[in-house]
Amino acid sequence: MRDVAIIGAGMTKFGRAQGDLMDILAEASMRAIKDAKAEKKDFDAVYVANMMGGVTAHQTAIAPALVDRLNLVPAAAECVESGPAASGAALKDAFMAVASGFYDLVLVAGGEKMTTADTDVVTDLVATMLHPTAEYVHGVTLPAMGAMLTRLYMERYGLTERHLAMVAVKNHANGLKNPYAHIQRACTVEGAMSSGVVADPLRLYYVCPISDGSAAVVLCPLEKAKEFTDKPVRIAGFGHATDVQSVHEREDPAVLKSVQLASKQAFNMAGITPKGIDVVELHDAFEILEIVESEDIGFFEKGKGHLAVEKGVTALNGKLPINPSGGLKARGHAVGATGMAQIVELVWQLRGECGERQVKDAKRALACNFGGFGNDTVIHILERGW
Amino acid sequence: MEHKFVGFKCKSCSRVMYPKHDRCLSCKGTEFEEVELGDEAKLITYTKLYAIPEGIEMPPLTLGIVDFGNNVRALGQITTDEPKIGMRLRPVWGKLRKIGGKEIFGFKFEPIEKG
Repeated sequence: MRDVAIIGAGMTKFGRAQGDLMDILAEASMRAIKDAKAEKKDFDAVYVANMMGGVTAHQTAIAPALVDRLNLVPAAAECVESGPAASGAALKDAFMAVASGFYDLVLVAGGEKMTTADTDVVTDLVATMLHPTAEYVHGVTLPAMGAMLTRLYMERYGLTERHLAMVAVKNHANGLKNPYAHIQRACTVEGAMSSGVVADPLRLYYVCPISDGSAAVVLCPLEKAKEFTDKPVRIAGFGHATDVQSVHEREDPAVLKSVQLASKQAFNMAGITPKGIDVVELHDAFEILEIVESEDIGFFEKGKGHLAVEKGVTALNGKLPINPSGGLKARGHAVGATGMAQIVELVWQLRGECGERQVKDAKRALACNFGGFGNDTVIHILERGW
Repeated sequence: MEHKFVGFKCKSCSRVMYPKHDRCLSCKGTEFEEVELGDEAKLITYTKLYAIPEGIEMPPLTLGIVDFGNNVRALGQITTDEPKIGMRLRPVWGKLRKIGGKEIFGFKFEPIEKG
């Protein structure tokens, strides 16, 4: 197996995009390709992550269409759809293709255009990730799932609404320093705690926005990375695991087992423990998820993640900064593109290019990309490859 | 016709699952029989959903996860606006919502009155 490096990264500003799905995918891809100085190169393969383009952009077979737009013909192209975990899965597939020796130069792009559809249409589409007869049909939505997990945590571990507000305040503060973030506005604990109720006990400020956005990276074998960049980022490990689909059927509905298993795989592959990580991007579609993931990955003891938030451990200047990009809450959540936006942020963090939101001396980073309501998780560990 | 709220019992290890799987979650057995999940369950978590999906008439929609014991649980609508963790509920057949204009029926959970 060959070591694999990310040699270029780029993304669009998340939010309401002017262009259509193909425009934003092309914009992010060209930024990544230019960043890798690979404009004149022949690419072997292109992986595109997307969840709902067939509905919201009324376009299918998106990957070969992107190849055409970028003139990467005749590169092999395929689309990966696995809900909001699509980007993580696409990166993993691309990693294996390069690591195995089959491909030498690969583009991986995630893109989603969501704001063209009404909020209730998008909420319904996202809810179709849930079990069709045991969950979806009853009217349960993803915010309802987030709310029920939150209540379990409140009952069991003494988490309070204030902790959710504190995560939102932190992520808004980080988003304010990220020119690519959808929401660039500070918020206060009191402001968050007086926003409207979406799914009791979740208020608007504990739920991510619906965003358009695209992000992309270019991969090659680490041994060839020096031809492209002085600062290749090595993919040190990945983990990908699933769980039973229905939340009620899990061994413990308050445990994200797919996060635990995928993390374990990734740490084993990278040969490190959670202590070896300097900066983290987590999938906070709901602020409770940042807390639960931070525990199930192994950064904090189960049931104590909210105490780390309280102590500022996860703040930008804390011991383990989580979501310097602003996370899904502030950077935004363009479902199929979100996992790639996490990776792009971490590449920039490792290269020291994040300006005001730069985590000092970040050498190793972890991304958690999460699909369904936790039945599909992809973890990546990145490190400096120079 | 009387509707029964059923799960699927593995014929090799007796584990009861809801919903259905084609291999048992415990022993990978492939033969199952339908069994009633019982007429009493306990509420373990819930939400009152205000941003309701299409086909639900009025917010809030109360949703919860109930526990029948032996690690058999189900998610569903709760027919009270005053849910409480630990309250006892029973499955009742009724209209759940409309999807694409079509009425969907299934089980929801109603509180069992004290005494």
